[in-house]
Amino acid sequence: MVTEAAPATLAEARDAVLGGGALLFAGAGTKLDWLPPARACDTIVRTAGLRRLVAHERDDLTATVEAGMPLAELQRELAGAGQWLAVDPPLAQAGATVGGVFAADDAGPRRLRYGTLRDQVIGCTVVLSDGAVARSGGRVIKNVAGYDLMRPLCGSHGTLGLVTELTVRLHPLPERAVTLRAAAGAHAAAGLALRLLGGVAQPSAVDWTDDTVWVLLEGRGAGLMQRAESVRRAGAALGVHLEELDDAEAEASWAVLRELPAGRPGETVLRAATLPDGFGDLAIVFERAAQRSGLQVALHSHVALGLHTARLSGGTAAAHTGLAGVWREAVAGLGGTPWLRRRVGGVALPASDTPAAAGLMRRLKHALDPDGRCGPGRLDWLEAA
Amino acid sequence: MVAAALARRLERLLGPDGVVRDPTALRAYECDGLTSHRQVPDLVALPRTAQEVAAVVALCAEHGVPFTPRGAGTGLSGGALAAEGGVVVATTRMRDILAVDPANQRLVAQPGVTNREISAAVARHGLYYAPDPSSQVVCTIGGNVAENSGGAHCLKYGFTTHHVLAVELVTPGGEIVTLGSALAESPGYDLRGVVVGSEGTLGIVTAVTVRLLPLPEAVRTLVADFASPAAAGEAVSGMVAAGITPAAVEMLDALAIEACEAATSAGYSLDAGAALIVELDGPAAEVEAEFAAAERICRDHGAARVRIAGGAQERELIWKGRKAAFAAMGRLAPAYLVQDGVIPRTRLGAVLGRIAELASEAGLRVANVFHAGDGNLHPLVLYDADVAGEAVRAEELSKRIMSLCVDAGGSITGEHGVGVDKACDMPRMFSEEDLAVMARVRGAFDPDGLCNPGKVLPTPRLCGDRPGPYRPHPLEEAGVISQW
Repeated sequence: MVTEAAPATLAEARDAVLGGGALLFAGAGTKLDWLPPARACDTIVRTAGLRRLVAHERDDLTATVEAGMPLAELQRELAGAGQWLAVDPPLAQAGATVGGVFAADDAGPRRLRYGTLRDQVIGCTVVLSDGAVARSGGRVIKNVAGYDLMRPLCGSHGTLGLVTELTVRLHPLPERAVTLRAAAGAHAAAGLALRLLGGVAQPSAVDWTDDTVWVLLEGRGAGLMQRAESVRRAGAALGVHLEELDDAEAEASWAVLRELPAGRPGETVLRAATLPDGFGDLAIVFERAAQRSGLQVALHSHVALGLHTARLSGGTAAAHTGLAGVWREAVAGLGGTPWLRRRVGGVALPASDTPAAAGLMRRLKHALDPDGRCGPGRLDWLEAA
Repeated sequence: MVAAALARRLERLLGPDGVVRDPTALRAYECDGLTSHRQVPDLVALPRTAQEVAAVVALCAEHGVPFTPRGAGTGLSGGALAAEGGVVVATTRMRDILAVDPANQRLVAQPGVTNREISAAVARHGLYYAPDPSSQVVCTIGGNVAENSGGAHCLKYGFTTHHVLAVELVTPGGEIVTLGSALAESPGYDLRGVVVGSEGTLGIVTAVTVRLLPLPEAVRTLVADFASPAAAGEAVSGMVAAGITPAAVEMLDALAIEACEAATSAGYSLDAGAALIVELDGPAAEVEAEFAAAERICRDHGAARVRIAGGAQERELIWKGRKAAFAAMGRLAPAYLVQDGVIPRTRLGAVLGRIAELASEAGLRVANVFHAGDGNLHPLVLYDADVAGEAVRAEELSKRIMSLCVDAGGSITGEHGVGVDKACDMPRMFSEEDLAVMARVRGAFDPDGLCNPGKVLPTPRLCGDRPGPYRPHPLEEAGVISQW
């Protein structure tokens, strides 16, 4: 019997965690299937009741927000002050919460310019499984007092504790954006991305899918136009002819590109990180294998970041498993790191490799969650040894 | 006292020139940039490789001897202060840049490479390493990792933790692990993020992978003179409201101007109540537009004079004046204490006013140099140790200013670290429970408590027999003694 708890205060959250047995923490639950299901679960603690904007210091460009607040709702609030929390992950329209995005360390195309929440969280409150309530950081942008618990919590998928509140740094909304698009193979796109990284264009995003590359620039005035021109020139030198999209088309493009890496139910989603210059080779090897597999395969890349996603659908679980193996090998061959983000039934592969420092990570897990009650089984590498 | 057996084994491991035992030579390691705390180590080990560091750490563990990592010793919170009867592990001989990948904008360095050397090594590729603490010419990347160093330009570019992608760490158990990676993501918990800023208490970093940035196309710098720091602070608010994120915004008050000018002749106006340095960098056309706007905002907020750096040379001079601020205080007083509190930027005027009141109550002068963009204050409390009671009053005033920052919603330290200096002040900012959880994290790395003990977290031995919020001693309440 799985019970559900929806605490509305920190004290209630503490009680729910203390008495909850094996725990699964959930925001909107949009990314729960990105990892294997919990080995055991007595209580699902939902953060939906913790959804207040506690403080918005608009002149200091900071905000304190409860973990269960939907990101889209927060962005609407902040937009009124001409500001935003600079993260554009998928699933925001599906209700993804600030805490959930933090726990998954998920981000979108504009991660290239702004980083992830990891880079923007300046304080947090966490409830540990033994009921300890701990704060780390503070409410000011600059602060080096004490250990940084925020960063290990970010991306821990709720396996260290329940994050109830975050204080974040905000950014002014960009005054204008320009999107350029061109037909380009993976090699050409990677070449363009590297050029842009080293140049003056300062792109906010460079995404590639379906033999097309998109470049997003943000800024204002004549400067923005000059940067757009520099991107066009860099592209032309590589035979990539970029055209500016009108605002509506640009917005529609990014709305699609943003969601692609999340995948959809019925898809196996493979993910990989490589150095930015590795994408061309990865795409060639993988697309060749994909053609032979008989599966429907779509490749997407945040090219300048070196973060790639392949979505597989159709065919058998065995075919998915086989192609996931090719992905793994190709990524590892480039010195990259492969993941399995989502899987269709019957695909029994680990979600990630065992980290190099797994021993130390297990000790941290044990220090914060000695009885292993937070998300048991969610991180498969944690269970081994 | 370090056993002779340990010393001999270390010498066998590192060679005779790899161990410092001579009492006179050891004196060079008795303190870091916070000279008020001193402890001569029993021995200094000078390893060259991660394997040697691991072996040194394993030997210390075997002998139950505490060890403290040390870079260039420029830290300002006593983080590199030796433990009593302990070994200092200095990274002085780990000075190689191990790999440069200009295309992917990555570099791997040993911990003893200086901050400035990294930028110098990649300048020919049009790249640089962004964090720029004032001590960047001498301070090491290993030390920067330990302290999560900032610098004048961190307002726009962030801190060390935003630029260090991976570290190789020798754990207090003597194991060599890699945390993080050169890639955008790596599996597992972000222990890299815990180690950065952990002040050498979680292990010894033996290699650092950093992210490099392209050199900005344009850099423009101005110095605006205001009647008061509060007025200058208003101008900063004006820039933020206009959506301008300067690369750096620094402020000097009249006393700081006087000292810097005497030391460097950087051209600051001696009759100004405050000087605001504003620097913008980035793509040329945008910098020009925003620079013009910043200048206008300064004038609109009452800047009497705006000096615009004519070129790289003049900009260097302006920065030389600012970065020499601490050293220049010698022109005003025989000694000073530097505080490192942070406040929400919008509280600047109120907090500076209160600092002035506290200073006058204490009968001491306080010069203010600070990172105005992010509210990181560096009040310099000037005193003369030869005047009876003045050193104690200075220490009291400095601590009061720190408390003021916490009360304003800020932090006890923005970039200098907690170290030994502020370990006992942590309860002003964190609850007992917060600190207990931090101690659990530390224990996961260092179960035996041998790695840089006495730093960051308050201990009964360090801070009196009861941990927890500060409680005045009865004699202190009676005015018989004072805490500092």
